[in-house]
Amino acid sequence: MRPPELLTTDPQLPLRQHRFQSPLRDERLAAWLGAALGVLFATCFVTGLFSHLHQHPLPWLPVPSRPAGLYRFTQGLHIAAGIASVPVLVAKLWVVWPRFLAFPPFRNVADIVERAGLAALVGGGVFMVFTGVANIAQWYPWHFSFTASHYAVAWITIGAIVAHLGAKWAITRRALARHRPALHEADPTLGTVAEAVHDGLTRRGFLGAVAAASGVLTVSTIGQTLPGLAPLALLAPRDPRVGPQGRPVNRSAANAGVIARATSPNWTLTVDGQVAHPLHFTLAELLALPSHEAALPIACVEGWSYSARWSGVRLRDLLEMAGAAPDAAAHVESLERNSIYRVSFVDHFQAHDRDTLLATHLDGQPLALDHGYPLRLIGPDRPGVNQTKWVTQVVVT
Amino acid sequence: MTHRRGLLFWASAAAGWGLILWGVRGALHHHIDTRPAELTRFFIGGAVIHDVIFAPVVLGVGVLIARLVPGRWRAPVQAALLISGCAALFAWPEVRDYARVNHNPTSLPHNYTANLLVVVLAVWLATALVAVVAHRRGTS
Repeated sequence: MRPPELLTTDPQLPLRQHRFQSPLRDERLAAWLGAALGVLFATCFVTGLFSHLHQHPLPWLPVPSRPAGLYRFTQGLHIAAGIASVPVLVAKLWVVWPRFLAFPPFRNVADIVERAGLAALVGGGVFMVFTGVANIAQWYPWHFSFTASHYAVAWITIGAIVAHLGAKWAITRRALARHRPALHEADPTLGTVAEAVHDGLTRRGFLGAVAAASGVLTVSTIGQTLPGLAPLALLAPRDPRVGPQGRPVNRSAANAGVIARATSPNWTLTVDGQVAHPLHFTLAELLALPSHEAALPIACVEGWSYSARWSGVRLRDLLEMAGAAPDAAAHVESLERNSIYRVSFVDHFQAHDRDTLLATHLDGQPLALDHGYPLRLIGPDRPGVNQTKWVTQVVVT
Repeated sequence: MTHRRGLLFWASAAAGWGLILWGVRGALHHHIDTRPAELTRFFIGGAVIHDVIFAPVVLGVGVLIARLVPGRWRAPVQAALLISGCAALFAWPEVRDYARVNHNPTSLPHNYTANLLVVVLAVWLATALVAVVAHRRGTS
């Protein structure tokens, strides 16, 4: 049976068509959404690499300790770009979805290469956004390590984007460069009727709605790292104003299993390793040392952060007292026993920064147990997971 | 996908597949952490769930809107559904409060069901306002 004749608003096609063609599924819209997604994913990739470098330091590439808020900025951007990409990814996949049904799926080797790359792109894009969103909500419906898997699939996804860019470069440039007259301008009679038949979002309206969706998600979450917007952060997984001492934590003392040891009167700090004189301090002895104050951010890998006043003894003063080398680095160890973040590496830039502290106080008050009582590491430009809590030992290297 | 492919296609395919294989190598090398079998299930499963379930459901909703919503209101309804649907998709793990098993009261500190409703309500009100203003401008 001959299908009913319909009008289309796709300028690539004759205005009279024998099949339905949404005016929104065209290459110009796909190109705009693809470009936006490319920028967002590239932002996530670069900031993600920076975060990976912080957590898996390379001996030949030490991370400087300044600017102090750099990691707070890059990781806040990583999470914000990831959240903003949710509507863009959904919209992009919606626009190109009919190609999923194209038959035959390939006609030559190049088609197979492109299709395989698209499978990696769709699988990788969905995986990255889904695992990222689930992780910041601390939902783990899987058994693999989030960080290791998110990192490996990031390379797969960025590789698929590179391959896709080459495949679509000419089409994208052409689609973005060309001006398209409205249909009623191109054909006053038939064009006006076609627009009326497909009453609904125009291409510009659709792009605007996608941008608005990204904007709504950004405004309703960014307050977890921008304190001025915290009252609007209705969907943020953390509130920088909520927690012990008015500050959130990623791991409580109860979850870390350290309450008894952290509150024990027998707690001591040891400084040893490659030093001339190993040192031992009780909490009272440590509190008697010269105290310094620094305003530093805690910036969680999950995208929330806050800035606070920390005070305690400078790490570089302890290293000097112990007779460590001027370019010494250190491993700072926690009372925690079963955590991949039990030990934190402090490179020589960070170990000798004037603001890298073993802190005993937060905003003028003794640290709450969940914030690392009796002693925590706090330094400039470091991920929150590397600001080790419940510190008991410094091993100089 | 039938047009001729040039040097750029093959060069970027080679570079892209190099990066993809680097990622696969990383996943296999750190197999104790990445659990490649489960990772593969999630990787393929995500794409399949999108292409076979999620996308057709969205298409079905689109067809329903085209059939049921008068032309004048179709665009604002589409826009409001798109925006509030994305907000709901993002907030789903928060609304379900999966993080409660971690016993960390600073994680997910709000009532996300109520907050999502506030966001959705604000989106529909704002969209309706924009539509009414645009309609008045169009008819004046």
